[in-house]
Amino acid sequence: MKAFRYTFRQLRRSARAVLITTEITLRQIATDGFIIFGLFIQPLLVAFLGLWMLENKGGDYAIFVVVGSSMTGLWTSILFISGISIMEERWTRTLELLVATPTPLFLIAFGKNLAYVAQWLFSIVFSYTVVSVVFGYPLEIRQPVFFALSLGLIVVSFICFGLIMATFFLVNPELDRWKNGLEYPVYMLSGFLFPIALLPGWTTPFSYLLSPYWAARVLHATSQGTADLREIVLTWGMLILFSILYVTLSLILFRKALYKVRVDATLSQY
Amino acid sequence: MKRLWLNVRLFWQGAVLSYIGMFHWLRPSMYFSSKVVGPIWQVMFFTFLGTYATGEDTADFYIIGNAMQLVGINGIYGVTMSIAGDRYNGTLPYLFASPANRLVMFSGRAVVHIFDGMIGVLIGLAWGVAVLGLDLSQANPAGLLLVILTVAFSTSGLGLLMGSLSLITVNVMLVNNLIYYLMLVLCGVNIPVDRLPAWVQPISSILPLTHGLQAARELVTGQALSHVLPDIGIEIALGLVYGLAGFFVFRWIEMQAKRRATLEAV
Repeated sequence: MKAFRYTFRQLRRSARAVLITTEITLRQIATDGFIIFGLFIQPLLVAFLGLWMLENKGGDYAIFVVVGSSMTGLWTSILFISGISIMEERWTRTLELLVATPTPLFLIAFGKNLAYVAQWLFSIVFSYTVVSVVFGYPLEIRQPVFFALSLGLIVVSFICFGLIMATFFLVNPELDRWKNGLEYPVYMLSGFLFPIALLPGWTTPFSYLLSPYWAARVLHATSQGTADLREIVLTWGMLILFSILYVTLSLILFRKALYKVRVDATLSQY
Repeated sequence: MKRLWLNVRLFWQGAVLSYIGMFHWLRPSMYFSSKVVGPIWQVMFFTFLGTYATGEDTADFYIIGNAMQLVGINGIYGVTMSIAGDRYNGTLPYLFASPANRLVMFSGRAVVHIFDGMIGVLIGLAWGVAVLGLDLSQANPAGLLLVILTVAFSTSGLGLLMGSLSLITVNVMLVNNLIYYLMLVLCGVNIPVDRLPAWVQPISSILPLTHGLQAARELVTGQALSHVLPDIGIEIALGLVYGLAGFFVFRWIEMQAKRRATLEAV
């Protein structure tokens, strides 16, 4: 009973740390021009580009484009913002303080990523509203329940993906300089706006290793009403599998990274 | 004569040093990521998207469009940040306090980016030939180079204007990203201008790149240089108009900042 109470108290403290981090991060990014562009304006511009380019495709191309362009915003956010969520603490000289507090850095990173991915949900609603209400494109989500449940899984999966990115950037600051070259490859490999069948066959296994691919696949299928039970089970299963994998890996990487930067005395180096 | 020499030195040193400072040449990975690796992915992404929309025989349209649009990396981001950087790095008050010729100093910020922007387009076209099968056998190389130069010039003109405006906004990257993406949408890079909504087309015609891109596509299909001279002329005129507008905004901001004592406000 005592152990149970202790565990419950610990869980409550962890949840509180995560939620406070999320709240503060949401407040910080609400006026950040770079994030506003990445999550709201860029997906909208990509959506219009896609809508005008794919208008001859017929069928449900409009909802396909809106979902795909929203996914581009999410990936851009994960790459450019989640990746540097720990690095930016380095730049503002607060990383040492965070590492020294009893709250695990992993939880802080989790809270920050929760804020970024939560803001992405607003961006989907924003894109949907502008494209459908302001510009009058017919947008219908054919399997709304599965779509909403998929969104929930995707939120978790991308938070976990963001944690992995944060550790990579923490251990290797050089990676920060290469991120400009990582944006479009994932757009392509994940099939956000065109099927991956258009790419050379040898790239397909790389797509299967990316959770954004499974996220885009299930959102496209549920929005267009083509998701049967087998497809749902497969895509959700892969999203859950990747989430577990990413969390486990990131926990190990966080521990190793923090040990390494202390031993090498590079905690503040960038 | 001495004054002329001083201005030439100011122009050259300002041009080279602002460029070196921007790309952090002690670590060239930033340059390769932004200028060599990243651009090919953009060209590939939009080429695949375009051919998915309109068929494989239209690939050249997207390859040329997106390769030419790469001038925006230098013209928009590079030139703007070379001016905005002075504000963020705290060197703007020193520049405003110096007796240096403002026009020489201001225009110098763009010059290396014009040539580096040309290199960016050539890299994009080379990737297009090597990876995506772009056919340049009918192209007039000298004419194409001239068009690329004029597009780099006109885009840098817009970059100078954006750079001046960046001195009065804290969201420089928001403005840069917006302009870069609007060029993708409005300049005929991925959608022919005549297929855009009618109310958008006049905006396209006064943006840099639109006319140069039209000229480049015609030159690649074997048209003579004389045929595209009007488009080249319009690109040059647009570059001059944007660049001069940028200079006057820069001077106005300098006067206002001095008058209101807001030089170091960030």
